[in-house]
Formats: sequence, structure tokens, C-alpha cells
Amino acid sequence: MKRICLIAVLVTLPFGTQAQPVAEAILKSHIFPRFEALATASSDLANKAQESCAPASKELRGAYHAAFDAWVSASHLRFGPTERQDRAFALAFWPDSRGATPRTLAALIADKDPVATSADAYGDVSIAARGFYALEFLLFDDTLKAAGDPAYHCALVQTVSSDISNNASAILVDWTSRYAGIFLAPGPEGRYRSEEEVLQELLKALSTGLQFTSEARLGRPLGTFDRPRPNRAEARRSERSARHVALSLSSLQDLAIRLAGLDTALAADFSAKFAIAQNGLTALNDPVFKTGASLQTRIKVEVVQQNVDSIRSVVTQELGPTLGVAAGFNSLDGD
Amino acid sequence: MAPTRTAMTAIALALATPAFAASEESVLSTYADIAAANYEDSLITAQRLQSKITTLISAPSAEALTAARAAWLAARVPYQQTEVFRFGNAIVDDWEGKVNAWPLDEGLIDYVDASYGGPSDENELAALNVIANPTFALSGAQIDATRITPALLEETLQEADGVEANVATGYHAIEFLLWGQDLNGHGQGAGNRPWTDYAAGDACTNNNCDRRGEYLAAATELLISDLEYMAAAWGAEGEARQTLTADTQDGIASILTGMGSLSYGETAGERMRLGVMLNDPEEEHSCFADNTHNDHFYNGVGIQNVYLGSYIRVDGSVVTGPSLSDLVAETDAVLDTEMRTKLSAAVMALGQIKIAAEAGFAYDQMLERGNAAGEALIMGGVNGLIDQTRTIERLVSVLSAGEISIEGSDSLDDPDAVFH
Repeated sequence: MKRICLIAVLVTLPFGTQAQPVAEAILKSHIFPRFEALATASSDLANKAQESCAPASKELRGAYHAAFDAWVSASHLRFGPTERQDRAFALAFWPDSRGATPRTLAALIADKDPVATSADAYGDVSIAARGFYALEFLLFDDTLKAAGDPAYHCALVQTVSSDISNNASAILVDWTSRYAGIFLAPGPEGRYRSEEEVLQELLKALSTGLQFTSEARLGRPLGTFDRPRPNRAEARRSERSARHVALSLSSLQDLAIRLAGLDTALAADFSAKFAIAQNGLTALNDPVFKTGASLQTRIKVEVVQQNVDSIRSVVTQELGPTLGVAAGFNSLDGD
Repeated sequence: MAPTRTAMTAIALALATPAFAASEESVLSTYADIAAANYEDSLITAQRLQSKITTLISAPSAEALTAARAAWLAARVPYQQTEVFRFGNAIVDDWEGKVNAWPLDEGLIDYVDASYGGPSDENELAALNVIANPTFALSGAQIDATRITPALLEETLQEADGVEANVATGYHAIEFLLWGQDLNGHGQGAGNRPWTDYAAGDACTNNNCDRRGEYLAAATELLISDLEYMAAAWGAEGEARQTLTADTQDGIASILTGMGSLSYGETAGERMRLGVMLNDPEEEHSCFADNTHNDHFYNGVGIQNVYLGSYIRVDGSVVTGPSLSDLVAETDAVLDTEMRTKLSAAVMALGQIKIAAEAGFAYDQMLERGNAAGEALIMGGVNGLIDQTRTIERLVSVLSAGEISIEGSDSLDDPDAVFH
């Protein structure tokens, strides 16, 4: 059904003089497919949770991994529909440097808070207890996967999964029914005043995505030379840390090459640099970056991080000027 | 640039009468003058705070504690306006963590309620309690804290074990020592530390009153010396001013970087929106004193100050001169109006939070799950700040299209430069 919606919108989009080929192609071939995949996989997750809510359920865990994959592949597209009603924050609250996710989940379970019986009501709950990172605690954390009354735990798993699906679906519908039009028709009164502002949004998504992968996904478990922090690796309980780096780089590569457009030399440079980073990650063969604690392997993680940083340099120093825009401010600009 | 824009600009230019003839140099000079006055005001109000704290420690009483709290609140008014000088000026960023680091694991410093918990995965020292422990182990070494000195706080405890939440110095450490933990959850009321936490002899509550006073005096002394350093750095021959004015293009970029980063990533994101989304009363910038509404409001005022080139000092006098606003108006008066309108709207939205909070609707309450009125108030401020950031980004393009070339500036094109 969602597929039908999407096609209908594409037909009615103002592909005319105002729409610009690069943004339009990125919308059709990069943005839509990712949010479509997220909605489909999340809907499957919600269904699987209804069938089996046991944390050890192979089907449930499989659906969790598939939906989380889809999110990470779309997680750099943080503008417009993802930022309405805190949707993306509610799908993915991480890093959680103050331990809010386990603390909030433990309180819900201890209180048997009735809010967990309805996915709609659950939309009011702290983002720390919503989304993929909360579900990971409920399915994989030694303490929280077995905490509390089994019936309540089951309801919580089902509600968190349905809430994820609701959010993923809302993002897709918002993109197809509203934001695609805004994105492709910049104008003096619009969210985007000019085509340059649309490209700037995409450049910013690319640059911020690279920054997040370097500083959070790779940087947090590395910690410092004297004090590595393997417990800070992203989604380590379900052994997804390195997988997230690979998935995000793959998506960011796709976006970078599409933005480079007709500049084939720049596109080739991106392909080569992303391949180096991915190969380094594969060679590391360490799903949760535990090796950051040992000297010899730590260097290999740092090299992957430097590879990602060098891609970001190309984005700001070459791709930005090619497109005629600067990256602007992003949410990582604070401390 | 589109032809329509050019036509509009031409009309607007004909109508515009800038208050000052602005050159880039004069704009930078006004900005540095405001910074100097604003940090000097922060110092003056911190010295007043120090005198009240000296009284509290030497002659403890309920009145002395109340007077010290009032002086802390007054000291925050100028300081929060200076935060717009962060992000664009490396010298401020390198220094800022010493005076305004947040959030903190306050159990590092003093006693806490049982609900606080103990050491966490992220911070083994979260419940160290230096005031109760004259000696303790830190990263394998034995620390002698029998005397609590500025050096101990600055060199040993601040960010101990590489954890940012180990905040031993600055406004928020002092705030905790004056108010104590706010144990009211989402209810009304701030921290309620008794004045007898500083009393002598048998009147002393919660033990170690002398060490608590020693800590408070040391933290205040450090705050003063840190503010002296920054006020001097913006003086006529100061390092911050010289760096800013060394290259006019980079200088203008520094102003815009500070305005945009404080608006967006810092205040709208980390400090405001996150708290609403987490429904967590600990996510208050001044969670002990319940002064968060003022923190946000004066951030907004500070951003407006540097754009308009006008700052009202704590003695009521005004520092003013050629401004970024004048500079933008010369090129694109429509955009200048848009910027001024959005800055006013954001300050008004932040002011609405302040109005409600001062009338008794505490910021804690606004953060509670399902509190739609509170969420609407806070998100009004967030949206105002995000909206003005978009226009700040437009200023970057306009100023770079004219004589100033901001493209290529580290602070705007290299997120790293902003990030540190």
C-alpha cells in the first residue's frame, strides 16, 4: 500500500523548470527507498513482536536487526519529516552518556506503568525508553531482558516495536505527502529559498553523517589512548557496532557520489576513499570494537576513523565549492 | 543571485539608513568592546558573589545563604549573555569548561540523596564525595585532599578520569554548594540545602561543614581568576581581541559561528529540546537553583546583542557601535530586517518561558511527560532559535557574496573547528 502512495506522489511532483535534477534524483533514488525500507522493516518488526515477544525469539531478533539496519542506512537524513514531532529522536536516542535508557526502562518495568499498553500513549514517554536502542536493552541486556513481570515485559516489547513502526510510517507518509513538494520547489516563501539551500541541506546531511560516524560510532569506544571505553560502543549488546559504521558509510557513499554528479573525478575520489575505509573496517573483523583496548588493534580503528575524516575534508573542501554551498550549522555544533 | 533578489536589494538599499557607517573593522571593534564589557560585568557580579560567600562561611546564617544565592542568580545574568562568544573564538572555548561545564555528577563533590545511585558505567567517580573524603584513590593514584584548594579542584578533580561530568569548578559547582540537589522531581521548588551545612561545631548538618566551606571558597576564588583572565583577553591589547581582529574575514565568520552554534546545536538542541524529549528534570541547565529559564533567555539576548551591536551593562550604561546589522543592511536590507525580526521573536519566545516560570510554573514541571503547555512553551523557544539559525546561514551567504569572503574560513567550513 505504501508503494502505491509513493508512485502517486511521484507522478504529481512538480518536475518542471523549478525542480532541479540533482535533488530530484537524490529524492527518488536515495531518500525515498531508504524511508520506504525503514517503514516496511519496522512494520514487520511490529508484527513479529505480536507473534513472539520473547527476547530470545529468533524471528523477533531477526526483524529487530533488519529494521535497525534500515534505520542506520537512513539515519543521516536528519531534516524535514524526521525532525517533526521528535520522530528520529524517538527512533534513535544515542549516545546516552547519562544512562537514561536503562534507567527509564527499569522505572517503567518496576512501576508496571500502564503507558506501555498502548503505542499511541507511548508517544508521550521519554525518548530514552523508545526506539531501537531501548528495544536493544529489552532484548539483549542481561538485566533488562529478564526484568519484571513477564507479561508486562512482553507488552513493553510489543509497544516499543509498534511505536517504532508508527514513527517510521509517519516519516514516510510525511515525505511523500508533504515534504517532497517542499524539497523540489524552493522559492522566496518556501522552507528552501533557492536550489542552493536544498543542496546545502544534502551537503549538511552528508557532512554531519560522516562526523557522527567518526566521532560517535568510532570515537566513543576508542576513548583516549590511556582510557579506552569499549562499553561505549554503539549497540554493543546486539553486536552491531561495526555493522553500523559499514551501513552508514555505504549510505553516505551513495549520497556523496550522487551529489558529485557530473564531476566524475570527484565521484571516483569518493569511491576510492570510501572503499579504503570499508576495507579497513572489514580487516578489523571486530563487531563491537573491543580491540580498541589493545594497542596494536587500536591503531587500526584510528586509521578507519582518519579515513572517514579525510572523506569529510573532501566534502567540505571540494564538494561544497563544486555545489557552490557551505555546510552551515549542524546539531553537533554545541558541546 | 536571482534577478528578483537584486531588484529587491536595490529598493531596500535606497530606503535603508544605517545607524552607523559600518566597516568590517568597526563591526569587529564593537563586538570586542561588548565582549570586554560583558566579561567585566561577569567578573564584577562574581566578586559580589564572593563577598556574600565569604560572609556565609565566616558567619553562617539563613540570611547569609539567601544573600549568596541572590548574588549567584545576579551573576548569571551577564555571564549567560557571554555564551555567544563561544564556538567562534578558540580562546573562549578552551577556557569555558572551567567556568560553565554542565551537566555534572554532583556526587563527586558532596553528599547526595540515596536515589542518586553510585558509580555508573560512564563514571566511576560519580559518587566520590570529596568533601567527606580527605584522601581517595583516583586512576590508581592516591590523592591527598586534606586541604581543598583551587589547585586541587582545577588540576586534579576537574574532568577527573577523563569524564566530562566530573565538574569540580565553575558556576554549577557553586550552585550545587549553595542550593543542593533539587529533590522535588517534576514538582515546584529548587534545591533546599540548609544553611547549617556551613554551620560551626554541633550545629553543622550533613558533616564536614568546614571542608564544604573550604570547597565553596576555593571554587569561587577560581571563578574570579578565570573571569579576570577572560575580561583581560578582550581588553585593548588582549589576546582574544587581537586574534579576532587579525583577519577581518575570519573575524566576521567568528561572530556568525558563535551566533549560529549557540542558537542551534547548543541551546535549542542540547539544552532545551533534549530535556523535553527525555522528560527528565535533571536535564535542566541550572537544575539546583531552578534558574534554567533565565539561562536560556539570556543566551537569546546575548545573540541579539552581538547582531545589533548593543549591550546593556550591569550598571545600566550601554556599549554600542557599528554592528553586523548595519553591515548586512548595506548589502541586503530585507535580510537585515528578517534577521532582526527573528532575533526578536526568539527572545520573546524565550521570554514567555521566563514569564511562566517566574509566575510559578517551574521549568521542571514543563519537562514532565504529557505536560502539553510546558512542551509548547519550550518548543516555542526551540523553534525560534532554529528559525533564526536559518537566517544566520543566509547572512553567511550574503556577506560572502559581497566584499567579505567567508567561504574557506575554518570556523564555518570545518565542523572540527567549531566542535572543539
